[in-house]
Amino acid sequence: MSAGPEGVSTERGITTPVVGAVDPILDAIDPDRGRPPHVMETRDLTLGFGAKAILSGVTAPFARGTITALIGPTGSGKTTFLRTLNRMNDKVRGFRREGSVLLDGESIWSTEQDLFTLRRRVGMLFQRPNPFPMSIRDNVVAGVRAHRIAKGKQLDVVAEQRLLEVGLWDAVKDRLGDSPFQLSGGQQQLLCLARALAIGPEVLLLDEPTSALDPVSTEFVEHLLLQMTPALSMVVVTHNLGQARRISHQTMFLYDGNLVEHGPTAQVFEHPVHTHTERYVTGRMG
Amino acid sequence: MAVIAEPDRSAIRRRRRREVAFRVSTLVTLALVVGPAAWILLGVVLRALPHWRWSVLVTPTQGAAGGLSNAILGTLALMAGVLVVAGTLGILAGVFLAELAPVTGRRWSVTGILRSATDVLAGVPSITLGFVGYLALVLALHWGYSLLPAILVLSVMVVPYIAKSTESALRQVPTSYREGAEALGMRQGYALRKVVLRSAIPGVATGLLIALAISSGETAPLLYTAGFTNTLPKVALIHHPVAYLTYPVWTFYDYPTPAAHYLAYDAALVLLVLVLVLLVAARLIVARTQRHADR
Repeated sequence: MSAGPEGVSTERGITTPVVGAVDPILDAIDPDRGRPPHVMETRDLTLGFGAKAILSGVTAPFARGTITALIGPTGSGKTTFLRTLNRMNDKVRGFRREGSVLLDGESIWSTEQDLFTLRRRVGMLFQRPNPFPMSIRDNVVAGVRAHRIAKGKQLDVVAEQRLLEVGLWDAVKDRLGDSPFQLSGGQQQLLCLARALAIGPEVLLLDEPTSALDPVSTEFVEHLLLQMTPALSMVVVTHNLGQARRISHQTMFLYDGNLVEHGPTAQVFEHPVHTHTERYVTGRMG
Repeated sequence: MAVIAEPDRSAIRRRRRREVAFRVSTLVTLALVVGPAAWILLGVVLRALPHWRWSVLVTPTQGAAGGLSNAILGTLALMAGVLVVAGTLGILAGVFLAELAPVTGRRWSVTGILRSATDVLAGVPSITLGFVGYLALVLALHWGYSLLPAILVLSVMVVPYIAKSTESALRQVPTSYREGAEALGMRQGYALRKVVLRSAIPGVATGLLIALAISSGETAPLLYTAGFTNTLPKVALIHHPVAYLTYPVWTFYDYPTPAAHYLAYDAALVLLVLVLVLLVAARLIVARTQRHADR
């Protein structure tokens, strides 16, 4: 596995004003002040498994506090790309990468990065709800316990807070000790979202988070995701073009192993630059 | 214009016959399994019950008469020892094989050697293990007939079962649990203990159950290592022989006195009840731990 040039960046010192930061007072109390404007960034990222190339030379910045939609046909490398951002592919056999991924300007593969801290900062929600075989409450606080963020009675508070946040509290408050598999698919996904949020990530990676859900739950989740910005930055893989339009600020179109187009969602959908993008977003290629 | 083919009646009949034959053959095999088990069960119960005395449970053996309290306590001690020794070793070996062992194609890898070793061990006749235990532990180490050599030999016998069942139970744990744990930043060992092993408990429990059933039902290796005694087990790992329930079954049945025969059947009955209790206990434990499981 070749690591390639890591390109450790020293962007930490640079303060590029984010939108609306012209007000000096607002600027002074901005918790992200002094941080790079891009929460994550890939530089010339090339991915593959064994001899098979998946993606080549993807350079993409992810603006802090925004939602980026990753669209593209099946096999275009969306999920591989997403799973690389929190190093879920590292242990997959034959995985190889070149180029770098920066989190707050620091390579996620640098020796200073601890994998477990990285996963705390960059959370993930999967395509299919995957609650653990433990009670609903224990599910919400599973990550909190693992990272020793809270203990004892505090865990109950965390559980309530996070379940309230995802709008699940009223539905489950009387059965926190029950099995999560009694919940509906949509509720299970919300539970997993609460679990992911409980450890306080800065970035959340979502792999087709609503493809297993009904339209009502989907709308609810989408609404929730929008509400979580700008405190949280998100990268969402989706096959649902309508969803990409509804929730994302930026859209990346991956096609045939390349990043074809990357820009503000409205622009990518209304005035795509490339013909492939146009054919995809208008439904002439799918 | 669609042409609907005339149904081939003979083909349908053939298919139906094959279906019936399959069902009948599964029922026959079921009967072949259940039949002998029921026969043995009934045989023991019917021969033991008519002259059953509760005092058997609390009086020790005197010659080829008396009770079985010494053997019951001895068997329980052996099972507890095996649970600790073989349980620990077997579960850890299973976890290693399923989770930690490096995946390599080479035959002489640690994994390959460990896996073949467990297979070979599972295939060694128990009397051979008993004899090895006799030579190495009872004689060479001067431990004499006693609890520790018996526990060690039984453990060596059952570790492969526990390791195998633990390994396969872990392999059946859905990838989504592992990925979910990984994505939350749990370390491998932590995820294993808190998430993965949890859903593997039924498989692990089955392995332990088989191990305990085997260790309570073995005779040959114990004849070589545990000896037998009429007295209750001492709190000593070595130098003191231990009684166990299969000894009366094996030895007293050949004695000419009816009292000895009764005792042999009583011992068999107690063994059966013991295994039954074990089964129920395992079920209860599994049900308790799996109340949050996905099903």
